[in-house]
Amino acid sequence: MSQNKTTQSDNLSALKRYRTGMQIMLEGAKADTGQTLKEVIWTKNKAKLYHYEPKVEKRFSVPILIIYGLINRPYVLDLMPGNSFVEYLVEHGFDVFMLDWGTPGDEDKKLSFEDYVLDYIPRAVKKALRATRAEEISLLGYCMGGTMAAMYAALFPDQSLRNLVLLTAPIDFTPADMGMFRLITSPKYFDPDHIVEAFGNVPGDLIDTGNRMLKPVTNFVGTYVTMWDRIMQGKSMDTWLAMNKWVNDGVPFVGEAFRQWIRDFYQQNKLVKGEIVLRGRRVDLSNMRCHILSVAGSKDHICSLPQAQAIERFVSGKEIEFHVIDAGHVGLMTGSDAKKDVWPTIFHWLELRSK
Amino acid sequence: MPKEGNSREPADPMELWEKWYETASRGWSNTPDGSKETYMDPFIIYRTWMKSVGKAQELMQEQLTAGSFGSMDPREAWKRWFETITDILEKSSARGADPFGLTAKWLEMMKEARARILADANIPADPFTLMKQWYDATSESWAKVIGDIIGTEKFMESASQFLESYASLYKTFRRANEEFFSNLQLPTRSDIARVAELVIKVEDKVDSIEDTLEDFEDNYARAIPANLEERLEQVERKLDALPDTFQNLATVAGLEKRLDKVESKLDKLLVAVEKIQATEPPKSSRSTRPNNSKAQAARRKSSKVQALPAEAE
Repeated sequence: MSQNKTTQSDNLSALKRYRTGMQIMLEGAKADTGQTLKEVIWTKNKAKLYHYEPKVEKRFSVPILIIYGLINRPYVLDLMPGNSFVEYLVEHGFDVFMLDWGTPGDEDKKLSFEDYVLDYIPRAVKKALRATRAEEISLLGYCMGGTMAAMYAALFPDQSLRNLVLLTAPIDFTPADMGMFRLITSPKYFDPDHIVEAFGNVPGDLIDTGNRMLKPVTNFVGTYVTMWDRIMQGKSMDTWLAMNKWVNDGVPFVGEAFRQWIRDFYQQNKLVKGEIVLRGRRVDLSNMRCHILSVAGSKDHICSLPQAQAIERFVSGKEIEFHVIDAGHVGLMTGSDAKKDVWPTIFHWLELRSK
Repeated sequence: MPKEGNSREPADPMELWEKWYETASRGWSNTPDGSKETYMDPFIIYRTWMKSVGKAQELMQEQLTAGSFGSMDPREAWKRWFETITDILEKSSARGADPFGLTAKWLEMMKEARARILADANIPADPFTLMKQWYDATSESWAKVIGDIIGTEKFMESASQFLESYASLYKTFRRANEEFFSNLQLPTRSDIARVAELVIKVEDKVDSIEDTLEDFEDNYARAIPANLEERLEQVERKLDALPDTFQNLATVAGLEKRLDKVESKLDKLLVAVEKIQATEPPKSSRSTRPNNSKAQAARRKSSKVQALPAEAE
C-alpha cells in the first residue's frame, strides 16, 4: 500500500510538472522583466527615453545612455532583479538612461538610419544631459545599437560625448567574416527591396527565424530539452522563462532601415569604406574623439570577432580597449559569467572615465 | 486490403508502424515519378495501429495500477526501435528518394546515436530523462548535418525561391485585401497608417518647439553677463542714495527761501540807509572838488583812449 502511495504521489508530481511544461509550450513563456524602477522623460513617436531611478548616491557626473538595436527588445539588459545590467550600473552609482525604440507600426516603414542617428539619438542625448545637468555623456550600444552609436560618435565628435562602449557591435561586414550571414544576406539570394515592398516593416518572426536558423538544433530543439530537463528536476525556471520570453518578443524591423541595413551594411560594407552618407553627411569613423571600449564574444555567431574588432582600425592614436569574452551574442550580457566578468569590466572602465 | 484490418487480435505495433512508414514513404517518393505502382492505402494500417496502441495503453494502465511497469526491457525496446528505423532509412536511401542527401546523413546519425545510447547500461524508463540523454548524444551530429545542409548554395537557392514566392504571395494578398476593404468603404491599414503619419508629424513639430524653448532657456541663462549682479547692485545703491539726495534738495530749497528773505531784508535795510543819507545835510564843496577834477581827468583820459583805435584804423 505504502509503495502504491509513493508511486501515486510521484506520478502526481510528474503530471504536475508535465502540465507546467505543456503550459509553457502552448501559452508561451511568461515572466516579469524590466523591473528596475524607471520613468519616461521623453517620447518621440514610438521611442521612449527611460531614466532609471537612482538607488544609491550618485558617484559619477557622466551619465550613461544605452542604445539598443532595432530588433528585439532592450529589456534583455534589465532582464530580472539579480540578473540586470541596468540594475548593476544603477547600484554602482551611475545615472542610467535607455532609449527604447518601441514597436514600429506601418506608418514608420519609412524611418531610416538618418532619422535614428541624426534625430532620435541626438535628441535623447540632449534630454539626458539636461535631466542630469551634465556636460558630457557615455553612450553604450549593443549590437546594431553599437553600430548606430559609432555612427553618431563619428558625426557628432564634439557634442558632449566622452565615452563610447560597444557591445558585440558589427562594424566591418566583410563576407569572409560573417559566417552563415554571408550566404543568407548574399545579393544572389536575398533582395531586401522585394521583402520591404511586400511586408513594409519586416515581421519580427521572419527576422527571428532567420537568426534561429544559424543554429537550428540549439534554438528549435535544445531550448525545449533544457526546459523539460529543468522542470523535471525541479530547478528554477525564472531565468529560462525570462530569456525565452525575450527571444520570442521580437519587434518588426522598419522597412527603410532594414533595406539600408542589408544593402548598405551587409551586402556592400559601406561603413568601413566611408561610403555611408546620412542626409548628405558622410560617416567617417576616424572622426570619433571619445574614449572607446569594445567588447565581443568569441562564441558569437551573429557578430564575429573580426566584425567587432574592426573599430580599432579607425581610432589609431586614440584611446581604445578591445576585450574578448568567452560567450555568445546574448550570453555576453546575460549569462552567469556576465556578472562575474563582463559587467565589472565595463564598470571599471567607465569608473575611471566618468568623474 | 490488409488482413490486419479484419483481425480482432492486436498486432505488434512496431511491425505495423514499419509497414505504414514504408508504404507512406514509397507512396510519396513514387508520386513525382508518376509511377503507376499500386500501393495500399496507408491509413487503414494507421487505424489498425492506433487500435493496437489503444490496447497496449489499456494493458499498461492495468500494469501501472497493479504496481509493475511491465516486462518490456527499455534497452531491448530501444534496440528494436533503432533497428526498425535504420532498416527503413536504408531502404529509402536505396530507392534513391533523397534530394539533399538527408536520408543517408540521417542514417549515419542514427547509427551513431544508437551506439551512444546503447553503450550506457542504464537506459532510464523516464521519457524526459531519456529525451535529454538522446539530445546530448545526438545534438552535435544533428547540428553538423543540418549546418552542412543549410550552408550550401543549393539550400540557399531553394530557401530564396521560397521566400520570394511567399513575399510575392503576401504582397498580392495584401493588395487584394486593401482593395476589398476600400470597396466596402471600410478603413484599411494604410488609411490608419496615413492618419498616424500625420499625427507623428504634428508630434515632431511640437517636439521641435520644445527643443527650441529648451535651447532658449539654457542659452538665455548662459548669455546673462557675469557682472550683471554687480551692476545691479550698483544701480540699487544709487537708487538707495536718491531719497537722501531728494532730501538734500529740499534742504537747499529751504535755504534758498531763507536767503530770499535775508535779501529782502537787506534790500529794505539799504532803502532805509539811502533814506537816512538823503535826509543828512550836504558836506563842503572843496572836499568834492578834487573828486570832480579827478573825475574830469578820468573822462578826458578815457576819450583819448577811445580816439586812438579810430586813428589806427
